Amino acid sequence: MADTQTPAIAVPVRHVFAIYWRTWFAQIRSIVEYPADLWVMASAGAVWNILQFAFLAVLFANVPDVAGWGYHEMLLLSGLLSVAGGCNALFWDGAWSTGAMVIKGDIDYRITRPAPVIIQVGSSHIGMQSIGEVVFGVAMMVYGWIGAGIGFAAIPIGVLAIACAAVIQSALVTALCAVNFWIKGQASIFAFLMIELQGNAMKMPLGIFPIAVRLVAMFIVPVAFINFVPVAVVTGHMSAWWLAGIPAAVVGSVLLAAGVYRLGLRAYDSAGH
Amino acid sequence: MAFATIAFKRKIAYKTTWLFSVLFGGWALLAGLAVWNHLIGDGEIGGYDWQSMKAYLVIGFLTTTLAWAGAEWDMANRILDGLVAIDLTKPVDFQRARAGEYIGGMMASVPAAVLGTVIAVLVFRPAGPVSPLAAALTVFSLLFIFPLAFGISYLAILCCFVTQRFLGIQWAKDSMVAFFSGMMIPIALMPGWLQGVAWAMPFVHFTTTPASIYLGRVDTAGALGLIAAEAAWAVGLLVLGRLIWRQLVKKVTVHGG
Repeated sequence: MADTQTPAIAVPVRHVFAIYWRTWFAQIRSIVEYPADLWVMASAGAVWNILQFAFLAVLFANVPDVAGWGYHEMLLLSGLLSVAGGCNALFWDGAWSTGAMVIKGDIDYRITRPAPVIIQVGSSHIGMQSIGEVVFGVAMMVYGWIGAGIGFAAIPIGVLAIACAAVIQSALVTALCAVNFWIKGQASIFAFLMIELQGNAMKMPLGIFPIAVRLVAMFIVPVAFINFVPVAVVTGHMSAWWLAGIPAAVVGSVLLAAGVYRLGLRAYDSAGH
Repeated sequence: MAFATIAFKRKIAYKTTWLFSVLFGGWALLAGLAVWNHLIGDGEIGGYDWQSMKAYLVIGFLTTTLAWAGAEWDMANRILDGLVAIDLTKPVDFQRARAGEYIGGMMASVPAAVLGTVIAVLVFRPAGPVSPLAAALTVFSLLFIFPLAFGISYLAILCCFVTQRFLGIQWAKDSMVAFFSGMMIPIALMPGWLQGVAWAMPFVHFTTTPASIYLGRVDTAGALGLIAAEAAWAVGLLVLGRLIWRQLVKKVTVHGG
């Protein structure tokens, strides 16, 4: 009875969250059944981060700074990027399966169920490399944070930045994976391209890149708001006003993902056509 | 050979994938040029001035474009989907068949990789080879990328017998290749012990070996020694893959049964 008295919109949202967590916990239960898988994947994520750490350590043994950015500040950049990618894999890895589901007609099942398709797809898998990514990413951040002498006062900004980074990253990946509704293929090439772009450019201070790259990363595909802007603000390379851009990027990217997915589902014509 | 031809045809049929493999490499090249241009300026780091660093990065572009073009997802999916069970019933050696497919896939990317390299050379004007002999030995050393890339990918996909997805393994493998090949940062900049670790692994031959021969950082005898090491790794990885396969194939479970 209580449910009927709540506003109409509240019920679906609660329902959606309930569905999401139920599916997510079901994935966790299945992971625990395959411990070998878990450890191999977690170590794979750890390897990736340890090598990022090594890269920066070697680089800064040879140069004093990169465009005015020190070792610890760059560790923060890499760490936050890893955590964002890790959170995507931990909470929303299923988005990467969109292309495969479209080809195999797996979206059919999802359409018939009484829950948003995007929620079902997003929660359909957990990338276990995320455990290594998140743990080592946070370790890099903490080490960089202390080394850069940022202090405790900015910790709430750091926590908020992680949450926003995870959402922007997942939303942009979802939007780009949804391109596979039109361009059929198992691999989510556009999302991979974005990850590549981030891996190559966003671990570095944006200032060393040409203006076109900076504009794209800030305003077209707002990957800069995932790690660069929050780190630049807490380390004093950018004015605090830029923080306002982060929630805007969150809202923009989530709306984009939901919009592209909805259009994609309209264009979806099941397997074999 | 038949498998290689099929993989080649399959690969060139999907022109977008093809285009993207060059785009990935091209983007990494541009980002690398921007970063190292900023770092080196008019000076030099680790014995690389701007001209030789450009040559180094272009060689890295060529080798990584080739190395990433192999059909490793097809191999991985055969194990993950359980198709490997059917492969076991075929009178074809699994490793040899996959090698054919993989190298066929790589061959399909050769024209694009070469075209990309020619464009990069014309646009960025990197340092030339130190001698005609060095140029010839560089090309020869590049040929070993094919068996080496397959050997490493094959070991990576064998992990799929114990995992449920390939993505994480692929990232771990790619990051090992990127770091220890010297693509992320030249081996010469690493501390001595890490250089030792890098030279003891096969990844170093993806970028550092051809670039060192090309730029004359090793003499002719050194170049021949490096090529011999490449050949040894190519054979060693194939044998290792075979030994591991023999153990893992006992684990095949299809759809949990």
